[in-house]
Formats: sequence, structure tokens, C-alpha cells
Amino acid sequence: MGRDPFEAVVTAHQGEIYRYLRRATVGVAEDLSQETFLRAYRAYPSLPADANVRAWLFAIATNLARNHSRGERRRRAAYTAFRSSQREDGSEGPEGAARFIEARTAVEAVVDRLPVKQRLALILRKFHDLPYEEVGRSLDCSPEAARAHVFQAFRKIRHSLEDRELPGVEVG
Amino acid sequence: MSNTLNECLRIQPDLVASATGDAEPDAARRVGEHVRACAPCREELEQYRAIDRVIGDLRPTPVSDSELAILREELATGLADLRRRLVRYRIFRSPLGRILIATSEAGVVLVEYLGGRGDPTASRLDRIRGMEPVEGGAEIDDLYRDLLGYLGGATRRLGWPLDLRLARSEFHREVLEATAALPYGAVTSYARIARQIGKPDAVRAVAQALRWNPLPIVVPCHRVVGASGALAGYAGDRPAIKERLLGIEGVLLERDRREAHVARDRMYARPGREQEYCLPTCGSIPSLTLARLTLFASRESAETVGLRPCTSCRPDLHPISR
Repeated sequence: MGRDPFEAVVTAHQGEIYRYLRRATVGVAEDLSQETFLRAYRAYPSLPADANVRAWLFAIATNLARNHSRGERRRRAAYTAFRSSQREDGSEGPEGAARFIEARTAVEAVVDRLPVKQRLALILRKFHDLPYEEVGRSLDCSPEAARAHVFQAFRKIRHSLEDRELPGVEVG
Repeated sequence: MSNTLNECLRIQPDLVASATGDAEPDAARRVGEHVRACAPCREELEQYRAIDRVIGDLRPTPVSDSELAILREELATGLADLRRRLVRYRIFRSPLGRILIATSEAGVVLVEYLGGRGDPTASRLDRIRGMEPVEGGAEIDDLYRDLLGYLGGATRRLGWPLDLRLARSEFHREVLEATAALPYGAVTSYARIARQIGKPDAVRAVAQALRWNPLPIVVPCHRVVGASGALAGYAGDRPAIKERLLGIEGVLLERDRREAHVARDRMYARPGREQEYCLPTCGSIPSLTLARLTLFASRESAETVGLRPCTSCRPDLHPISR
């Protein structure tokens, strides 16, 4: 048969899918990760034996995340503010570290407010190293469009941080 | 001047890709060349590199073991529930029309004759609560092949595991199980099934239970007839199918006025739970109804289930001519 039993699929990928959904959505990662694997279980017998199971799972999870993201922006902004306030402000530490943490918080806030396709493309590419073909498959778009989403995401981050000094950048 | 501006705009996607480690070698090279001559773009490159470093720091940390254990457990519960509910089905063409076969993890759950007026795919499946029907996979093909083999007379045993969850009651389940034990080419009566399950007075209830058989053919309710040998009903209102299935198994039928009967005088008979099978004329057999008899279409069908020829009437020496 050439294909692993479903239990092996769960063992191999549950952690990563959960991590992805935790970053891609707010407060529903547990539910959506469960739903991802239940959907996968239903469809698993029809999956070709040579399919890229990891990428397929990401596509299912992404679909769920996108469906969930409607109406989520306000929840997201509130959650990010909460998350930032929970973080150590690092003002006692060395200046560089403090600036880095500040920048990190700012970038995180921008990422959380990105349009859903840009945010998911960025997460899939940068955090989970999915090739652009698979990012495209997850988002129902071409690899080129997926690349463009990531580009737009970075540009938005760049413009949001316009006046901020980023650590490690030499000016002039 | 505007040329350079266009160039800077054009190269932006590659510049960002290069800063974030995502550029093809050609693009990276072009960017390298451009920023050597273009200070603003060089600065942009640095900005994006810095952003990329910050993004890198946002990479999610691995899930802790305890979190993962909780996730595992919750999923295991969800999957167990889904497995119980999940039923895979396919609809096939057959000499008897379209047939739906549905299986669960435990076995075959439903066999349904589709067709008739209206939507040829309307199925009981849609109306059964607690089940999630999903169009199913290649594993049902094997069942379909078996079924075709049976309908063609080649296969005499459908050794499918059965999932009797659609039985309406414990009584219903007992009736189905007793019926499932009837061998190929054998016929008995509702009354005898009732006796077998220890409820000799429940003859009509047995007939009713078999009317609602969720697994026709597989649970061979077509092999159960009236005590007089009259075919009685089948699957609601499909007596023609019952006749056809009996015919496939070699059971001879007679037509008397409008009703079809099993031709019991041309079938071997097993009284009660005897280990022998007899000619229809042996001893007291002619006076017994099918409440006390199981009939067999052939010596083979009797001997396949371990019965021996009666030492009195010797069906082995005097087989019934067909």
C-alpha cells in the first residue's frame, strides 16, 4: 500500500499543525487542529499513496483558518495587545535586547493584522518552510501569487515600522 | 532619473526576497548589482534583513510535551467518535438495479436497493441519525465484486463482517443473526426462526423484523418463507427479487394461483436440529410444516454445512432428479 496508518500521520504532524494554527488564528488553535485531523481522517482513504501528507494537512488547516478568520480582525487586535502586555518589557536588560523585543512586539502586531492570505502565506513560508507550490495549494492560488502575498506582507511590515529604528540596521 | 526609479520599483520584489533568503540565484545576483550602485535600495535591503531577523524570532516554539499529550488525547476521543459514526458508501449497478453498500469500521452496515420512482440515489442513509455517510473508497469494491459473484451464481458465501447497529431492537438483532446463519441454498420459515431464538409465538414479529432487514442478501432474509412454503413478502414490496435470489441458489419454486411457493417436494429436508438431511418423503417429514424443517436445494448445500445423508431414506443413493 505504501502509506502509513493514520495514527502515524497524527504522531508526525499534530504538533506542527497546532503550532501553525496557534500563530494563524486566535484562541481556536486547539479546536481547529482537532478539526483538521478529523477532516483528514475522513479523506485519508482517497489520498493517493504518494501524496505529500504534510502539505495536504497544511492545506486543510489553512482552509479552516481562513474560514475562521472572518470577523476576527477586532478579536485579533485585542489579543495582540493583551499578548504584548504579558511579555517582559526587558527595560532592565541591555538596550539592544530591549529594542529587539520592542521591534518584535511591533512586528508581531503588524503580522497579526495582515490580511488573512498575506498572513497565512508569510507563516507557511517563513515558519514552516513550505515551498511556494504548497503555499499556493493551501491558499488556492499560484506559486507566483503566493510569493506576491509574502512580498506584500513584508512590505506592509516595513511601512508600519517606518519611523522605528530597527535593531542591527546601520543608518547612512 | 526616471529610469533608475523604475528599476528600483521593478527590483523591489526580488530585493525583499533576497533580504529574506527567498531569492533565486539570478534574482539575488541582480539585486546585488543594483544595490552596489543604489544607496537607498541598499538601505532598504538592510531594513528588510532586520525585519527578517525579527520574523525569525517569531518562529513558533515547539509545543510542550504536556500540551501535546492533551492534544493527542482529545484527538483520540474525537477520532474514536468519528470512527463509530463514519460510514463509507458507494452505489453500484447490478442485475438487480442500483445497490448501495455502506460499511463502518466494524463491517457492512447497510445494503439497499435503490431506484424506483424519484431520485435513484435517495437512501435511508440520509435519514439515519448518528451516522456520518461519506462516499467511500476502494475497499468497498471488494464487497461489490463478491456481490456480483453471488448474483452470477459463482460465489456461494459472502463472508462479510456484519455491523448490525441498524437493528431496531435486541429482538431484531437476534432475528438477523439467526437468519444470517442460514446456509446457501437453504430455506426455512419465520416460525422456525422464532423457535430458534426462543420466542416461538413471535412469528409475525419475526416477519416484520425481516421486512426491515438492513442487510438484504448478506443477511439472507430471502431464504425465509411462510410455514406453508409460500414466499410471503420481501424488502417491503419486492417479491420479484426474492424469487430471483432463491432461483440463483437453486431453490425451485412453484406457482399456485397468484402466489409462489417453494417446491418442497423437490427439496431435501432437515428436521429440527438433526445432523442428517432426508428425502422429502422420509418418515414424518411430509406432515411437517416449515415451522419444523429446513429445506435444501441440493445435497451439496446440505453437506457443505456438515449434514450427513439420512441412513433410512439414503438421499445419496436416491438423489432427487431435477
